[in-house]
Amino acid sequence: MHLISGLLNSRHSRPVVAVLVALVAGSACGGESAETESTFRAALLTSGPVSDAGWYAGAYDGLLLLEDSLGASVSHQQTATPAEFDEAFIAYASSGYDIIFAHGNEYQDAAIRAGEQFPDVTIIVSGGGRVSANVVPLIFRLEEGSYLAGMAAAYMTESKVVGMVGGVAIPPAQGTFVAFEAGVHAVDPEIEVLEVFTGDWNDVAAAKEATVAQLSRGADVIIHNLDAASFAVFQAVREVVDDGAVAYAVGMNSDQNAVAPDVILGSAVIRIADAFLATAQLWQDGRVGGAPIYASTEQGVIDFVFNPALVDRVPAEAVDHIARTKQAIRAGEIEIPRVIFVEGEDEGR
Amino acid sequence: MSQVELTLFLESAVRLGIPLALAAMGETITERSGVINIGLEGSIIAGALGGALGALAFEGAGLGVMSGAMAGMLVGLVFAAFAIGLGADQIITGTAVTIGGLGMTGAIYQARFGATGTELSLPTLAPVAIPVLSEIPLVGSALFAQAPTAYFAYLMAPIAWYLLFKTAWGLELRATGEAPAAAEAAGVRVRLVRLVATLFGGAMAGIAGAHLALAHAGTFAENMSAGKGFIAIAVVVLGRWNPILVLFAALFFGAASALQFFLQALAFALAYQIFLAIPNMQTLAALAGWVGKSRAPAALALPWEPHR
Repeated sequence: MHLISGLLNSRHSRPVVAVLVALVAGSACGGESAETESTFRAALLTSGPVSDAGWYAGAYDGLLLLEDSLGASVSHQQTATPAEFDEAFIAYASSGYDIIFAHGNEYQDAAIRAGEQFPDVTIIVSGGGRVSANVVPLIFRLEEGSYLAGMAAAYMTESKVVGMVGGVAIPPAQGTFVAFEAGVHAVDPEIEVLEVFTGDWNDVAAAKEATVAQLSRGADVIIHNLDAASFAVFQAVREVVDDGAVAYAVGMNSDQNAVAPDVILGSAVIRIADAFLATAQLWQDGRVGGAPIYASTEQGVIDFVFNPALVDRVPAEAVDHIARTKQAIRAGEIEIPRVIFVEGEDEGR
Repeated sequence: MSQVELTLFLESAVRLGIPLALAAMGETITERSGVINIGLEGSIIAGALGGALGALAFEGAGLGVMSGAMAGMLVGLVFAAFAIGLGADQIITGTAVTIGGLGMTGAIYQARFGATGTELSLPTLAPVAIPVLSEIPLVGSALFAQAPTAYFAYLMAPIAWYLLFKTAWGLELRATGEAPAAAEAAGVRVRLVRLVATLFGGAMAGIAGAHLALAHAGTFAENMSAGKGFIAIAVVVLGRWNPILVLFAALFFGAASALQFFLQALAFALAYQIFLAIPNMQTLAALAGWVGKSRAPAALALPWEPHR
């Protein structure tokens, strides 16, 4: 079904219009070289809708930030199948885009192919695992935020059971769950951690029932790694809370605290827009290529933020412990477990 | 599983089965008239968005469901205009309608609620427990403490069965699906019957989508139909084009889906993809054995040109 939705979105939504407008503008002002050289063109590829208030929404905000802050002319396309990945790269690269943000691990192989074909284009693959001269993974150390979320969950659970609901078990998603579990066990090794993958980032019905299944196993804090289906996780938690139970959800990828302020304890955050901006600035300085770019708590890109509406329920000891741990992670004093997926990267880094 | 867990599992199974049942029941009527509407997915997602927008506009989930039905029927009308009106290939038209439905709903949602999306606070269809029936041990709460749309599905199954097999109207409908030339010779307006059957199917799929948004998820999300239209078409085959069997087939599918989440939550140390494949493997097994002897309407997917 991803195939179909991708097809369609790449044909009908604004992105294509944006490409066309850009082409027209480019040909119209071909003579004014100063005009065209003062800016650059940035494109974003996503394989899901940007209306997920999370992973893809953050990337879309990042694209708009490049437009506002750096004067880039920008375009977005939603693609789904590997065949469409290739087509989208070719379309953008051949129509003069300078930097393409491919927002997801799934783009890594198509990015390498396109990178060989178009050596002048720089492709940034979020969570990618493959590196070349002009194809660069942008690795978000979301494990660090997820670890802190695990600690928060461990402090808040009364049943000593917590749950994780994921979409597809790609390595970056598995990494966040491994780290969450480690964070839970850093506080209390006795806590049971459940894991369910639904196989679909947007299937709200599946995400709802997966959450219900975990709640029924006694879990009272549920973290997700989903896209638009995350709404169903919040809804499932809300329903048991309305019935008088005490339970929390944990947001992921973007600051989702305001999405469901009544049930979200906090969010493991990637400030994707900031990371895109920093990456584009590095690229403008000619410093992007041949090696992965890492974004972590060190630069403030990764974080765990409590929901201000519910933080008064969190013991001061927990808030303090998490703040201290965040400092320790930033200082490199704590090694967060990860799933290794970037080529050439060893366990040590 | 304990008794409590078994009850929760059955409740989950029915919740997952109801949208499939609603969509598949409508598709059963459509297919009995000789039209295969692959665009069902488009009607479901339109129903989900129509349901959400209607519930917000009219400040009530009931009117939201009506809006969802209208939206689903509208998408069915687009399909009918090409597939029945112009005699276009039904598979290709249906695929286009699905793609168009997913895209249009995404565009409308983003235009209305912002590109980066948010969780909507919709008036929801709360479960209504039926006295006495919902007290039945084990299956009572699963079957009889559900949203009103579930009871609509239970009622529609025998009503659709009666209309299809016990009335002159049903005979005409089945005739257009089996032998349209003979039906036309007997005075049946083949394309009109097919249009009505397709609009009915679209409306039922729209109600299925509204159920997803208003009774299940409590919000709209792009692509939230997640392939349920295609699964519903498989459910029609599994239910042998019989509305009552289709209801049971849909609940069977729901149980298979629910099982995968409960098995994962029980922490079986197996690759989760194996659990996700369970419903499909069950379907294959069922298709190979149980449904072996049934067959599709003879004129299914064949366009009809009137000879008058």
